[in-house]
Amino acid sequence: MDKPIRREGEGFVVDVAPRTVELIEGLCDEMETLLGTDSPLLERLFPPPYGDDVERNEGYAALAGPELIDQRVEALRTVREVLRTKRVGEDQMLAWMRSINDMRLVLGTMLGVTDDEDPAPTEANEQAFGVYEFLGVLLEFTVSALSDDP
Amino acid sequence: MSTTAPSQVLEPDTGTEEGIDTPWVVIVWNDPINLMSYVAFVLRKLFGHSRAKAEKLMMQVHLEGKAVVSSGTRAEAERDVFRLHEHGLWATMQQD
Repeated sequence: MDKPIRREGEGFVVDVAPRTVELIEGLCDEMETLLGTDSPLLERLFPPPYGDDVERNEGYAALAGPELIDQRVEALRTVREVLRTKRVGEDQMLAWMRSINDMRLVLGTMLGVTDDEDPAPTEANEQAFGVYEFLGVLLEFTVSALSDDP
Repeated sequence: MSTTAPSQVLEPDTGTEEGIDTPWVVIVWNDPINLMSYVAFVLRKLFGHSRAKAEKLMMQVHLEGKAVVSSGTRAEAERDVFRLHEHGLWATMQQD
């Protein structure tokens, strides 16, 4: 059976189940909304680069921050396109990869993944946990397809 | 598109406490969320490393907690940090 995400000819094929399309579309909407806030769930997406140097961190955040947000929103739009067209070029595949990883970072932060031992799912977060792990599988497929030399 | 912002962040670096000639290093820190295959791929993609070199760096991050991935002027380091942040990697920079 073909892999759901694979290199084919000049580009890539993203052939995921309808319920996966629905899931990712929903996550795109949630991410886009979240990116308009200053939620602590976003902390892994915008790490301060200058250690304890508050002034330089603020300078970086003021100028790089909006661009990092725009770029992420743009990537989410590409993801929706990928889900529709299913056949994409390398740049779109890379945007898809970054977005899926962003979603994992937010979910992982929400679930409190803080060390190399994944926390065990509880009844309360079971669903989010399942999505987190599923995104990991999708990301592995994506990286693997992108790593295949044409 | 994504390389213009960081350079604008720079104020003239005439600092006295930090030598102007001392290079800045960019550090990627270990984190429990990013997948190892993803980190290796991003390092390969951004810095043009061979697969083997990227995997070695990724393993250094994973086992030692961090690795220096590039060095240069403050502007160069900030540009690399920005590109790593675009990819969700936990990157910082410091003058060594």
